[in-house]
Amino acid sequence: MRCLRQISVCILAVLLASCMRWEYGLTEQFDATANGVFITNEGNFTYGGATLSYYDPTFKSVENEVFYRANAMKLGDVAQSMVVRNGIGWVVVNNSHVVFAIDVETFREVGRITDLPSPRYILFASDEKAYISQIDSDRIIIVNPKTFQITGEIICPMTTEYRTGSTEQMVLLGDYLYVACWSYQKRILKIDTRTDKVVDYKDIGLQPKSMVADKNGKLWVVSDGGYEGNAIGYEPAKLYRINPENLEVEQTFALGLNGSGNATRSASRLKINDKGDMLYWIDGGVWRMAIDAAELPAEPFIRPIEGVNRSLYYALGVAPDTEEVYVGDALDYQQRSIIYRYSSDGKLLDSFTAGVIAGDFCWKK
Amino acid sequence: MRKGISILLLLLVSLTAWAEERDWLRDGLEIPDVEVVARRPMRDIGVEQTKIDSAMLHQNISLSMADILSFNSSIFVKNSGRATLSTVSFRGTSPSHTQVLWNGLLINSPMLGMTDFSMIPSFLVDKATLLHGSSSVTESGGGLGGAVKLATEPTAEEGFGLHFVQGVGSFWTFDDFLRLTYGNGRWHSSTRVVFSTSKNNYRYRNYDKKENIYDAEHNIVEQYYPVERNRNAAFRDAHLLQEVYYKTKNGDRLSLNAWYTNSYRELPLLTTDYGSSPEYENYQRENSFRGVVGYDHIRTNWRVGAKAGYIYTWLGYDYSYNKVATTRSRSRINTIYASVSGNYSFEEAKVLLSGDITLHENFVRSSDSAVGYSADRAELSAVVSARWQPIDRLGVAATMREEMYGQEWTLPIPVVAVEGVVSQKGNIMLRASASRNHRAPSLNDLYFRPGGNPDLRSETGWSYDAGISSEVGRKDIYKLKVSASWFESWIDDWILWLPTNKGFFSPRNVKKVHSYGVEAQASLSVRLAKDWRLELNGSAAWTPSVNVGAPISAGDNSIGKQLPYVPRFSSSVTGRLSFRSWSLLYKWCHYSERFTMSSNDVALTGKLPPYFMNNIELEKQFSFRWADLSLKGAINNLFNEEYVSVLSHPMPGINFEIFFGIRPKWGEKKR
Repeated sequence: MRCLRQISVCILAVLLASCMRWEYGLTEQFDATANGVFITNEGNFTYGGATLSYYDPTFKSVENEVFYRANAMKLGDVAQSMVVRNGIGWVVVNNSHVVFAIDVETFREVGRITDLPSPRYILFASDEKAYISQIDSDRIIIVNPKTFQITGEIICPMTTEYRTGSTEQMVLLGDYLYVACWSYQKRILKIDTRTDKVVDYKDIGLQPKSMVADKNGKLWVVSDGGYEGNAIGYEPAKLYRINPENLEVEQTFALGLNGSGNATRSASRLKINDKGDMLYWIDGGVWRMAIDAAELPAEPFIRPIEGVNRSLYYALGVAPDTEEVYVGDALDYQQRSIIYRYSSDGKLLDSFTAGVIAGDFCWKK
Repeated sequence: MRKGISILLLLLVSLTAWAEERDWLRDGLEIPDVEVVARRPMRDIGVEQTKIDSAMLHQNISLSMADILSFNSSIFVKNSGRATLSTVSFRGTSPSHTQVLWNGLLINSPMLGMTDFSMIPSFLVDKATLLHGSSSVTESGGGLGGAVKLATEPTAEEGFGLHFVQGVGSFWTFDDFLRLTYGNGRWHSSTRVVFSTSKNNYRYRNYDKKENIYDAEHNIVEQYYPVERNRNAAFRDAHLLQEVYYKTKNGDRLSLNAWYTNSYRELPLLTTDYGSSPEYENYQRENSFRGVVGYDHIRTNWRVGAKAGYIYTWLGYDYSYNKVATTRSRSRINTIYASVSGNYSFEEAKVLLSGDITLHENFVRSSDSAVGYSADRAELSAVVSARWQPIDRLGVAATMREEMYGQEWTLPIPVVAVEGVVSQKGNIMLRASASRNHRAPSLNDLYFRPGGNPDLRSETGWSYDAGISSEVGRKDIYKLKVSASWFESWIDDWILWLPTNKGFFSPRNVKKVHSYGVEAQASLSVRLAKDWRLELNGSAAWTPSVNVGAPISAGDNSIGKQLPYVPRFSSSVTGRLSFRSWSLLYKWCHYSERFTMSSNDVALTGKLPPYFMNNIELEKQFSFRWADLSLKGAINNLFNEEYVSVLSHPMPGINFEIFFGIRPKWGEKKR
């Protein structure tokens, strides 16, 4: 029996060493009244690790995981984009099928829109109407931001039916909503927001993804050109200027040929400054070009940081007030991204770490 | 802090118990001096292995090989619940660095490079052997971490036999096992069927999200963590395994093993999923067939054998949300396998020569609604080894493997090993080995669309290990085995799939990894008193696995850090206490904190704290003139822990299953 007693002692020790403890429910108070910038961090796909960072350029201070810290819950899986409107930040979380609305000073949730198929971007037409694009879907979901309810959808004609279509970045010009159809598509759509009907569309280069409007009311689009083995083709990425009236391509600039694996070129993230006269995009480095330029610049505005390997920039933002340029390097995509902040003339002002796979920037004002 | 206290407590109590146990052994049972238990076979010279016998493998019908390995070894098993992808990794390496052989047939997916251990019911395996590090080279190349050898064996019984087990458990779980056997002097046949189904819809408190309560103006007035069910997690797995063995008059052996699997598994929603569409579907299906025929010509001092096999796998993945976002992915893999092996023993010179040449020809067709790829690849592997025992207490081994993937020959893979008995009293043996190894990229790594990278290089590595072991005992009284080994390996060109700006992932050779550490195992089997028997098995591993490559770019904080999702410490203990026809089995396993970032930063949203799990089983056997019956109750997650093993994938709380087994006695049987 002595042996049994000893065994019991061993088992008791195992039991004592066998409890896992978690801490939940602790929230923090924030009062971010300054004019800062939010960074949406995608996190690794299917791990629910999306986070939100907030950077105050005045004090060069960054707060990470502010959504979790303010709300004691996770933001979700793959935070794709964010928009601020009337003091409310709208964070689109792709693989959680949700858009969170937060107070931009306290970071507390004020509401959410759920049951979205695969949300990517949100664009406001009014206080009571917004559009949410969907990847792997031929739909744009219409929502009422005041009630957080889905109020309708627009079924969009696609170039191909692969993956059921794709609606990506959107631009509002007057009464018309312009949509880039990206994944396995070639198409730009024009939608009348008064009727929510597609009134026109045009096929341009392979996989148009990023879209902005300039001060002259022209659309600028970057198509990434697909990839080798793509069912709809493979070509160099292109930058287009498009007349929104008739969707005619007015100007085309050939960018680098995208690649996968060890490739260093991958055109994406087209942005424009607040004045609407200067374009920025990532293609290896960060490129900048005036909207009236006749040809592409010979050198990137910001070169990749040289090390043993070159930086592969993943995120890009242009501050609306200072035109400072924020560039995110996702490093190995398994650690906190580094954000580099450059002045409008390309001088490095600051750098800080955000969350895993920083993907988008959103200024409060 | 808590972890440290727990480990100290464990060590302290274990040491105390051990010290007292020695007294008890001496005083209570009057055990005389220890004696050497057994002589090590020559084929095991220089091999570090962990053997798992059929008693452990056949604990209960609901277990997969992933469960068995979790509780019976220190290798890291990563899964997110029953019937979810379960991968196994040795010594801080990745799952694709573990080679898995079933009756000699390599069953790693040629597409993914890894094996899903949740798809292998432990009741379909009679013998499992873990080959650590360089010890795997004698069986297969590519096992930078090691290899898992699974085998089936003919039953010892003669005549007709039947064994049926019915399990009923929590969450509408049903497990069935049926085995029909027949054996006589020459023939043995076995047919095994395993069928498992479950809604798997356990409840859990979701701490990753909150439910909102709004007022009439749509203002949030209250929030709370909801209690949710594990949604979309049902599964239905069926396996049929047919074996036929024939022994000729002159001792030659013929064997046939055919294993068919049909699986339907839903993929559970993340804890952070806010979708509630009733039109949601997300599931994977698999139909696979694995067949091997073998012939062995065995003589006193030599043996030749030949095997041929075929694997067919059909994989389907379907996703749609509200009939809008859809994916339909289909893959077909055909693999043809052939192998010739032999060995010759020069008994006087105490030399054993062996060789093996193996061919796997893989044909992959993979597609979804948008893209896909087709690829064929021949994988030829040849190995020769020599083992020499110049004196009884010393053994040396040298192995050389050469492989060809497609048109490319790899660099030779050499292994040298030496071992020697330094004390016969405690059968204390020292062992050391060194080897090179490599792993070719999988077909998905090279050709998957989108993202495949045909420019990938093979991962290559050097590893070294040294160990000590002791085995003592006294017949029918007790048997004690202990072993410990130190290892060190360097792996270059580690392949990782990373996101790209284009919305898909792509693999790259990005890291150089240094993994090192210590593995220790102990097992004790002791007769406590008349009718009482205790069996204890324990293992522990300390496996730092550090990225020592060049920075990805400026600011890379992953250099010198532990690889994400690889625990530094892991351990397991199982104890079985038997009294006559009663048996109590306690299982415990532990993984230390796992980092989710390569920089080892700990985020509030990315924490995987230390993992402890306790399971217990109680079994009673009844023997009647007409049949043997058994009744077993199992409790999993005994302390109802709320935990996750993979981020955002909740695990079940305490759950139960009971099993009823019957073995009719059809006439006299001989063993």
